[in-house]
Amino acid sequence: MPDSAAALTVEGIVAGYGGVPVLNNVSVAARPGTITAVLGANGAGKTTLLRTISGLVKPRQGRILVDGANVARRPPENIARAGVAHVPEGQGVITELTVEENLRLGGLSRRGGSVRSAALTDAYRRFPMLGERKKRPAGLLSGGERQILVIARALMSAPRVLLLDEPSLGLAPRMVTQVMDLVRGLRDDTGLTVLLVEQNARSALAIADCGMVLNLGKVVAADDAAVLAADVALRRHYLGF
Amino acid sequence: MQEFVEFTLGGIAVGMIYAAIALSLVLVWRGTRVLNYSQGGMAMFTTYVAWVVIRDTGDYWLGFFAALAAGLALGAFLESTVVRPTIGKAPLNSVIVTIGLLILLEGAAGIIYGGQYRSFPAAFSVRGLKIGSFGLGISEADLFTAAAVLAAALALFLVFEYTSIGLRLRATAFSPGVSRLLGIRIGRVLTLGWALAGLFGALAGVLVTPSTFLYPNSMDAIFVLGFTAAVIGGLDSPVGAVIGGVLLGVLLSYAGGYLGSNLVLVYGLAALVLVLMIRPSGLFSGAATRRV
Repeated sequence: MPDSAAALTVEGIVAGYGGVPVLNNVSVAARPGTITAVLGANGAGKTTLLRTISGLVKPRQGRILVDGANVARRPPENIARAGVAHVPEGQGVITELTVEENLRLGGLSRRGGSVRSAALTDAYRRFPMLGERKKRPAGLLSGGERQILVIARALMSAPRVLLLDEPSLGLAPRMVTQVMDLVRGLRDDTGLTVLLVEQNARSALAIADCGMVLNLGKVVAADDAAVLAADVALRRHYLGF
Repeated sequence: MQEFVEFTLGGIAVGMIYAAIALSLVLVWRGTRVLNYSQGGMAMFTTYVAWVVIRDTGDYWLGFFAALAAGLALGAFLESTVVRPTIGKAPLNSVIVTIGLLILLEGAAGIIYGGQYRSFPAAFSVRGLKIGSFGLGISEADLFTAAAVLAAALALFLVFEYTSIGLRLRATAFSPGVSRLLGIRIGRVLTLGWALAGLFGALAGVLVTPSTFLYPNSMDAIFVLGFTAAVIGGLDSPVGAVIGGVLLGVLLSYAGGYLGSNLVLVYGLAALVLVLMIRPSGLFSGAATRRV
């Protein structure tokens, strides 16, 4: 049953890249202002789930509700405008543009110059590091700085739902902690709803409210983050810690 | 000395035409990774629009701006109808489609306007300018050509760098996938890119046709040289397109002036082959490789 209180509801999604589906009847419900960790081994379908929600992969079956409106099978730009910000794995800063241009780009789907410039001011207040480097080509930023830039850029559109794909990938341990703290801070300050895909299950569950475990395209467990983290058998089989 | 000045200034004037064609190719290439072989045909067709308007109204400027408007409309129309389905597919698809468009446009122009050579007026006097008795090798019309292309290129630069439309155009060129995820409606952006390319092509057509006559194939040679200019500049670089155009114009002017003018198009093709062999990404582009 659809959870009417959810910011994002995924119902019975079947999706893939031709041939055998990667996702088989996957459902998720994310309450507003929560972080849901999406966990599982490589090839479990975590990234495909995010790509399906944001419209990069068209689902064969199922519904995707953002604030009650079904966005399944719409083009990605429409889904973004419906309030879903997807930060793909490998980050996707546009290296040829400056830091500020990357940020401004994130706000272009909103109407009104004053709304956009207020969002830019907010971004620099929250991330002073970006303000110090705003005229610099984004290609000159370090990996950790790029991760912060793409998250800040996603926030420029004032999204309802943030889809984060492996934000810790390739980062130094200290940066991983910083990025996780940032995600938790966003939930606490702005009430953002986050779907967080992570290889690093331990640090994801440490900040998440709920979690789900995918295996071979099916949901094998979905519960409160603390319950999943305490399940020794689940951890040994699927989570690797 | 006088010869050298004449060849140089004359070369710069012609080079601005190549620059306009090169800019139109760069606009399309950056946005859609399509090499628009029909660009010359589009320019020819919009020049006929100007020709008809000038013939019927007697007003040069009405015809001039009608051609620019027709260029915008034709670019937008072609992108949103026949080009869009080829974007993101195998590169050969768009090559075939744009070559087909060229044949279609040239055939349609022949059917509608006939194949005979028509004279096309220039905006200003084509008599050579002089300082005292020293001939400069260029006319008022050449000065207007240079000024018009430079003004259009400058306007394009300002739009690209300082407006949100320009930011959309650049972002879509660099990374269409990321742009879509940020809610940019890239279909509209690509249509706009083609419209602007149509505008630059129309500008080149109206400016060059007084010296070539107007007929269905009148832009073919200009297109090849404009393409060469774009390759010299690097297909990704608008600034490179302008510099490449002027460089090619001056070089061909020297070659034509000192070596004989019969083989100018051959020298142009030789320059194209040379650049593709030595530095295929162009003189002013990054190290990105090219598929064409």
